Amino acid sequence: MSALLEVEGLRVRFNSRAEAVRGVSIAVNKGETHCLVGESGCGKSVSSLAIMGLLAKGGQRTADRLAFGGQDLRGLSERAMSRLRGDRMAMIFQEPMTSLNPAYTIGSQMAEVLTRHRGGSRRAALDRAASLLGRVGITAPGMRLAQYPHQLSGGLRQRVMIAMALMCDPELLIADEPTTALDVTVQAQILRLLMELQRELGLAILLITHDLGIVARMADRVSVMYAGEVVESATAGALFAAPSHPYTRGLLACVPIPGTIARGAALGSIPGTVPRIALGFQGCGFRDRCALADASCAGAVPVQRRAAGHEYACRLEPGWGERALGERALGEQA
Amino acid sequence: MSAPIEIRGVTKHFRQSTGVFSPPRLVRAVDGVSLSMKAGGCFGIVGESGCGKSTLARLILGLHPVTDGDIAVDGKSLATMNRRERARLIQPVFQDPFSSLNPRRSIRDIVGLPLAAQGASGGEIDRKVAAMLERVGLRPDMAPRQPAQLSGGQRQRVAIARALVLGPRIVVCDEPTSALDVSVQAQIINLLNELRRDLGLTLVFISHNLAVVEHICDEVAVMYLGRVVEHAATDALFRAPAHPYTRALLASVLTPEPGLGIPDVGLGDHYPDPANVPPGCRFHPRCPIAAARCAVETPAPRMIGERRVECLLA
Repeated sequence: MSALLEVEGLRVRFNSRAEAVRGVSIAVNKGETHCLVGESGCGKSVSSLAIMGLLAKGGQRTADRLAFGGQDLRGLSERAMSRLRGDRMAMIFQEPMTSLNPAYTIGSQMAEVLTRHRGGSRRAALDRAASLLGRVGITAPGMRLAQYPHQLSGGLRQRVMIAMALMCDPELLIADEPTTALDVTVQAQILRLLMELQRELGLAILLITHDLGIVARMADRVSVMYAGEVVESATAGALFAAPSHPYTRGLLACVPIPGTIARGAALGSIPGTVPRIALGFQGCGFRDRCALADASCAGAVPVQRRAAGHEYACRLEPGWGERALGERALGEQA
Repeated sequence: MSAPIEIRGVTKHFRQSTGVFSPPRLVRAVDGVSLSMKAGGCFGIVGESGCGKSTLARLILGLHPVTDGDIAVDGKSLATMNRRERARLIQPVFQDPFSSLNPRRSIRDIVGLPLAAQGASGGEIDRKVAAMLERVGLRPDMAPRQPAQLSGGQRQRVAIARALVLGPRIVVCDEPTSALDVSVQAQIINLLNELRRDLGLTLVFISHNLAVVEHICDEVAVMYLGRVVEHAATDALFRAPAHPYTRALLASVLTPEPGLGIPDVGLGDHYPDPANVPPGCRFHPRCPIAAARCAVETPAPRMIGERRVECLLA
């Protein structure tokens, strides 16, 4: 069975100078959560915008394959794209205040989504809006429909955004850092809600985040991005059990996990910062920050296969990390 | 040399204007907080947005006058100090290095400003700034650059250098790593830890990131709607949280461990509003274990062993 969303060799460049996305391939299956994880500037948000056809002016997209439900999105007109967006594919963003219109009530914004894509009466659309608000855990949905976005707290606004995204029963939900602006308690509630909705509705979710905790808890599959490329792709279990790209390993060492590191001991960190990738850049984008890089890293980077469905782009062969740890342990014994 | 901080019954209320025709609302940002912070320690303050943790930080920095109560450092009340005296003693590091540094000034001027304000000479400023930049892991030749030429992590290092250049004894960090990427966040945490040890600083560390707080703080106070609802040594607090709010807060931490799913924190969709503090226990509308009396009785702080908890049921 082919995936609901298939992306192969996606490239995005801006003003034909900088290349933000350099050959990204991802596939999202029905009912699956695929996490795109990386630091700021790695191209994860630009990738998702490119998929939705929402790139800012000056952004150029090319891809070897870009298909949604078997339909090629590359040749689609802006009109056809906007018929898809909000209907069969929906999107939620980090800051709900900027994606909601402050001049309209919650009810009229939610109803418009349905009447524009599906037609029908405003009354029926408002009924559906109320039932979805209830579904996302908002008490007194009738009252909320008459309110304006500024009258709601951040957590409530994000719930409204999710309810609005569900108005037309989408098959794919693209969520770009949906909980980054929220408190941890509210974040847990919103993510739990997303998981429940996914189970209930068979949604495919493309979740973009920088938070490895969210990735571990939410993802079926993970693609780790760095400098415009997917450097490692695996199931969540495999990625955390056997991280294989030096960048992934470095990133995991940066996060304090209770009980695994002594208080006040130094956390792992990656020196340097994410590079700006100029057009025509060759080799591994991580080599300037990588302790294991050598001259060959400036050339073509081989894709290594750690196991079925677990691949990473690096000169180091599978098992290098474990061998390095083993050698260090031997050294300490001696 | 480090210094202890003594916070006694501190209250800060703001009047929030709601429009020309409606009366102002009274926001109880900090509502009767007492804490003592040990010299040379790292004291964490955690809680959700609107709990008053940043206001408390600004009170400790002397950026707001207190409405009631007193804050004393080394036995001396902040209210009796002038700005320069306070600046030599306590310095801030804020969340967003993109907005806390003047974009039109050079790094040398930004880091040297506290020295200039204290009346140091140009040569002395150059020398101290260069030494300080090196201390926080920046090259001294970056001094002529402007903030826009630096990355987020480098900017936060500049903010730390500015905070330390006068040799303060207390540094108040308000979400110092929230705006940074994970890999850079770890660098800054390591740097703060190292500086605390080497310079004997007292750190007040305000954050919503509980994993980071657990990693670097010795003591933690949990705030909810302007009150400290639980205060304990970090180990005790994280091992066996006593207040139901602390439990919910800890439950919502998503550690990178696959397969654990997303926990149900059981808090409902009632969000706290510091301008509309509920009667009784202020946490009762969200509390998963609230009893009838929680809506009427106001809990007094109680000591349970070494920890202080404000809950009728704990």
